[in-house]
Amino acid sequence: MEFTEKIPITIEAQLKEQPLFYAATDLMNDGQFGKQWLILTRTEVAIWAEDGNLTSSLPLSDITDARVAGGVGGGTLIADTKRGPVIVLRYTAALTSIFGHVAKLIGALAKGEELPTASEKDFPRLCPKCRTPLSHDSLACPVCKNNGKVLLRMLSYAKPYRKQMIAAAIMLILTTLIELIPPYLTKRLVDDVLTPKDMGSALLWIVVGLAATSVVLTGMQIVRGLIGVWIGSKLMGDLRRDVYQSLMRLSLSFFDRRQSSQFIGRVNSDSEAMRQFMTDGVIWVSGEFLRVVAIAIIMFSLDWKLTLLALLPTPLMIIMSSLLWPKMGRLWYQQWRSVFRLNSIVGDSLQGIRVVKAFGQESAETSRYSASNRDLIKSDIRVQGIWQGVFPIFSLIAGAGTLLIWFYGGRNVLNDGMSIGTLIAMITYLGMLLGPLQWVSQMLNWASHAISAADRVFEIMDTPADVPDTVNPANIGRVKGDVEFKQVTYGYEKHHPVLKGISLNVKAGEMIGLVGHSGAGKSTFINMICRFYDSDEGTITIDGNDIRTISQNDLRQQIGVVLQETFLFDGTIAENIAYSKPDATELDVMRAAKIANAHDFIVQLPDGYDTRVGERGHKLSGGERQRVAIARAIIHDPRILILDEATASVDTVTERLIQEAISRLVKGRTTFAIAHRLSTLRNADRLVVLDHGKIVEVGTHEELLQAEGAYFKLVEAQKELSQIKGVESA
Amino acid sequence: MNELEVKEVQEEQPAELAEKDPFEIHLLEPERISFSRSSGGVFQAVIEGKAYDEIVLFRVFPFRYTTQFISVRNPKNEEIGIVRDISLLDRESRTEIEKELQLRYFLPIVTRIESVKQKADLWIWELGTNLGDTRIVMRNLHEFMQFPGNNRVILTDMNGKRCEIRDYEQLDSHSKRQLRDVM
Repeated sequence: MEFTEKIPITIEAQLKEQPLFYAATDLMNDGQFGKQWLILTRTEVAIWAEDGNLTSSLPLSDITDARVAGGVGGGTLIADTKRGPVIVLRYTAALTSIFGHVAKLIGALAKGEELPTASEKDFPRLCPKCRTPLSHDSLACPVCKNNGKVLLRMLSYAKPYRKQMIAAAIMLILTTLIELIPPYLTKRLVDDVLTPKDMGSALLWIVVGLAATSVVLTGMQIVRGLIGVWIGSKLMGDLRRDVYQSLMRLSLSFFDRRQSSQFIGRVNSDSEAMRQFMTDGVIWVSGEFLRVVAIAIIMFSLDWKLTLLALLPTPLMIIMSSLLWPKMGRLWYQQWRSVFRLNSIVGDSLQGIRVVKAFGQESAETSRYSASNRDLIKSDIRVQGIWQGVFPIFSLIAGAGTLLIWFYGGRNVLNDGMSIGTLIAMITYLGMLLGPLQWVSQMLNWASHAISAADRVFEIMDTPADVPDTVNPANIGRVKGDVEFKQVTYGYEKHHPVLKGISLNVKAGEMIGLVGHSGAGKSTFINMICRFYDSDEGTITIDGNDIRTISQNDLRQQIGVVLQETFLFDGTIAENIAYSKPDATELDVMRAAKIANAHDFIVQLPDGYDTRVGERGHKLSGGERQRVAIARAIIHDPRILILDEATASVDTVTERLIQEAISRLVKGRTTFAIAHRLSTLRNADRLVVLDHGKIVEVGTHEELLQAEGAYFKLVEAQKELSQIKGVESA
Repeated sequence: MNELEVKEVQEEQPAELAEKDPFEIHLLEPERISFSRSSGGVFQAVIEGKAYDEIVLFRVFPFRYTTQFISVRNPKNEEIGIVRDISLLDRESRTEIEKELQLRYFLPIVTRIESVKQKADLWIWELGTNLGDTRIVMRNLHEFMQFPGNNRVILTDMNGKRCEIRDYEQLDSHSKRQLRDVM
């Protein structure tokens, strides 16, 4: 209950009995924002206003049931009474889960059933301090958290390369100090040699000194550069690896909601931006900082009054920089969004290029692209424009300092208060000092770019897997294959359940055919066994173990799938067959292919088992791909087998080949099969008919036909359909 | 040839179906429907002479038409028919249907944007709406802001709460400034 607020004292004082449950809603009954309290006791459902006035109450004896009616962006809690339904309260989408629970509570109270207990999932997850919604799996509030954290976290990637970083830093300090020597030598040249016109050996030595510093400087810059490149590439590699690993770890539901083209850009360009910041950025910034400090010290020791004067414009530059910082960050994000939109249009239309061409929509797609392209051009111009405008202004301000030195320093020289050499040295040093200050803006660019990139990258890394792996997985070894569904309810979007209270007990080795209209929940049913998603309610057990207590690795070891879209990876046929068992011998691969009726056609291919398939390789026909997929499942040797429409869209000969392969595959394994063609499920031990997410019938083909229920209707409908098809093809 | 086929199909159909094609969109005639609210606050209707004690409304084109093409359904989600334009209904029905739509499609209209701040990885919007002040929290902008066109913006909260900016050109200058930074 730590996420719920306490009842206000004004209300609590008036309560006659201990509340069973209470919750605050964020809407008034007329739909305005506002706070009301629902307080549930054993006798009534009461609604209180925040100020302690009772708004309404409904005796529980009147209520027969309760439910929520979900709207869009909000919902309504409705109590069914003997006099018809009554609206209890309204709430926004943030509170959907908690009032879903309230409805169940009221319903159970009214019907005298056992009260459901609230799980943590039922409460809105808000930060106790600032009421900001929290992400699903972490209690750390993103608003209350430290802002520099992203930066620190980013820098933590540099840790493994500490030694190299230190070497680079030492080089940096040395080069910075050496860079300061030439202006001093110049000063000596002017004051000691040129002004007195003293042609001694000094000229030669000073020039030799200048030459030596340049040579040393160049050498050190090269070495530093090489170290930088080395660290940078390593860092980049680490980042990319981590992002990719996170992507693989995430649950399917994460990808359901996003376009995959989005990630390709993220993995590469965002990690590049972060690397740039960490290697070039950090080294450069610290080097420049060091230089500024050193130059300031030298300048002050040469002539502190003049230095103060020359530094007058610097606060202005710093203020300008800090004003620009947040602005630029947003503009960069904006530009990134435009690029992202453009990329997803390209991704979309190229993936669907057949549809585009078939409907003759090339020009529509082009204009869609052009519109986004224009957006990008606009935001490009804006970002770059501000950039280009800022620079000259910075140099103008910086130039003002130089002018001041020329004027006052020049006067000092004329009054003999200062040597010409010192004046020249001052001007050179000031140039070196203001250089990095102008570039403070470039630092903003790097930093803000990198931080927003880091934000996005860490977002992926931080997204909790919806299907978390258990901490102490049960060791299941090789399972028998008993599968049991106990009251399983699940919806891809909560409160739109696709499966409702499914209960089914399947014995090891049994073949279950799943039947129903499209959208009845067949594929979801299968996804639940694979644990691609976690059930909202109820449990699924394998050999009596809740699948949540089994590590996902172990679980998938036991499960083999042959899916509707047979996806073959880029690689040879042999590699694809041995996908789940890379150490399979050539004989294993051939045996599996033989069982899958694939061996013969593979051998006849010019490249045999070494034929490259996948995106770039040899195009196999649908039936061939399916048989390769079956071979893949056979070599996996799972205890539980899942077949999804394995024989859709192939000719009858191929279908027979596949059917044979499948019947060999299912032998001795617990099998769940989906097929649109009901005839292909004849071999199933039991058929489970799903309708609107519920099991409506279970039985063998013959039993169900005799019962003349839902299955019978499906069969009849299909018969009609095949007759029409027969006419079509005739 | 074609005509002949059509005729045959019609003859095969039972008389009942022939007059009411199940695949035809059934538009409700404004004179034959009336909406009201029960004492419990539940939305009810009498449609073509039949009384329904609970009715659920759906906007067919929630973004494009907010007061036209309203699908009227019973709680079992069976479509009774479609109201083409609610402005053609009688006054009481119109007020009730408008109210019900507003409640079911909870989409406050933004009247003022107080601030848009980025804290850590969250975007926090402090908004004034026609239904009172509220705060919207987004994980990022590119997934939680939608632009259906005509200067409209739909803002979606991490929890699914939504707000609408009807026309960002019509907002006051402070709000526009806040918005410009993030659009």
